[in-house]
Amino acid sequence: MFNSSPITAWEGAAAIFTWAGSGGAVLWFWVMVILCLIPIVTSLRAENAAERAHGAGGGSAAGASG
Amino acid sequence: MTPEEIQSALEWTTRINLEIYYFWTVAIMILIHVGFMMYEMGASRVKHTLASGTKNILAFAFIIPTFYMFGWWIYLAMPNGFVPDFAAGAAGVPWSDAMGPNLADNATGVFWGAFTLFACTTASIMSGAVIERIRMAAFIILAVVLGSVAWNLSASWGWHPSGWMVTRWGYHDVGASGVVHMISGFFALGVLINLGPRVGKYNADGSANRIQGHSLPMTKAGLMLIVTGFFGFFAACLIYFGDLATPGQWTNIYGGQTTLSAFCFNILMSVAGGMIGGYAKTRDPFWMMSGALCGVISAAAGLDLWDPSFAFCIGFAGGVIGPIAAGILDRFKIDDAVGAVSVHGVCGIWGLLAVGIFMGGYPSHAEGVPPISFGGQFMGMLVMFLIGFVPGYVLSYIFKVCGILRASEGVQHIGLDVEIQNDAYPEQIKS
Repeated sequence: MFNSSPITAWEGAAAIFTWAGSGGAVLWFWVMVILCLIPIVTSLRAENAAERAHGAGGGSAAGASG
Repeated sequence: MTPEEIQSALEWTTRINLEIYYFWTVAIMILIHVGFMMYEMGASRVKHTLASGTKNILAFAFIIPTFYMFGWWIYLAMPNGFVPDFAAGAAGVPWSDAMGPNLADNATGVFWGAFTLFACTTASIMSGAVIERIRMAAFIILAVVLGSVAWNLSASWGWHPSGWMVTRWGYHDVGASGVVHMISGFFALGVLINLGPRVGKYNADGSANRIQGHSLPMTKAGLMLIVTGFFGFFAACLIYFGDLATPGQWTNIYGGQTTLSAFCFNILMSVAGGMIGGYAKTRDPFWMMSGALCGVISAAAGLDLWDPSFAFCIGFAGGVIGPIAAGILDRFKIDDAVGAVSVHGVCGIWGLLAVGIFMGGYPSHAEGVPPISFGGQFMGMLVMFLIGFVPGYVLSYIFKVCGILRASEGVQHIGLDVEIQNDAYPEQIKS
């Protein structure tokens, strides 16, 4: 459906990956960056919630002796 | 040295390089089975642990001889459909000269070994789904039919340069999203429908209980071993030419040019994408690790051509799709203990369709072969579903009617380890 091929023939082809040499490769690079950031943000939120609930001496001593 | 001597030396070097390469892919692929065994045992409760591990190893052990007996022949002889080509299959008959030590043939043994390990992988995938209630004899027969019959047929049709799905539809599945993963996932679905859930999985009101395995750390370590083993698996999906008549670049299974580097980029990126996707969706250690499999299975069909950033995104999507699909199956009371149907079956569908959606415009790699198309991938997906689901459902239904499919409620309560007369942890740990 999407024409992502950078080549029209296999003879002499070099960079053959989808969207090679076009803006598509840059676009998907930035999508990847955003996808990496999302779980970091959600992790931070979940950890902050756990800290609020159990931190500052409110939690058990388990793991504290590490 | 004379030119003839140089030519001869080059030919031998190339031939032996081929042999060495595939020999070690076989060894690395065994790690997939170590991983699946750990994955399944960790996902089992203590009382079922050894039965789960034993079942997995027996699948491996039974596939090897049955693949020798008829599996390799099916792959070689059936690229045209259900009518065998006996001439093409002759080299796969167990008593042919090629099917044993032969000083003039450095290739058949290692190719047979690699395909045998692909077959073992299919059975190992199904094995995890059915833990804690399937009976051993029925499981072994199901594993043999999946690994040494159904998978071979799909591979002959869609993972063979002369396979009819390739020559008619341009079906593109270089890393086996369909021919290994969909087949196994939907074969498992067919079995699960007849097998029924584990005792205690669902409540009377239809709600599901989470049955926690006894060792999530073992499961996680197993999953990392599976990822390691997949490097052998995907390496064996490439063709290394062992003669100087066809020198030059590596090719995929269809003869299209590719590189090991292409595979390395996209395996790692899709594994990482799947892990992060699974973690982002669930924050669950089990699904984070299963996300690695979701990711690489989602990208597998196009490992030769994906942009690595895009392989990451496809893998991420797979890591999200896997747990969603598992939740939907749960609503239908299909108790897939390790998520095999969603990880392998559903992500396999996504992998095939992603190629159809995003990989248009590439020229054909061989004359007479259509280019990649959404229609070809979609039809291929339907075929893969049917070759997986139908034999799994029909055979398990027969076993169910015969009363040999499912362990009794009493045995499930005591633990399937009672049937193999052993305890995983005899001294202390109780379930």
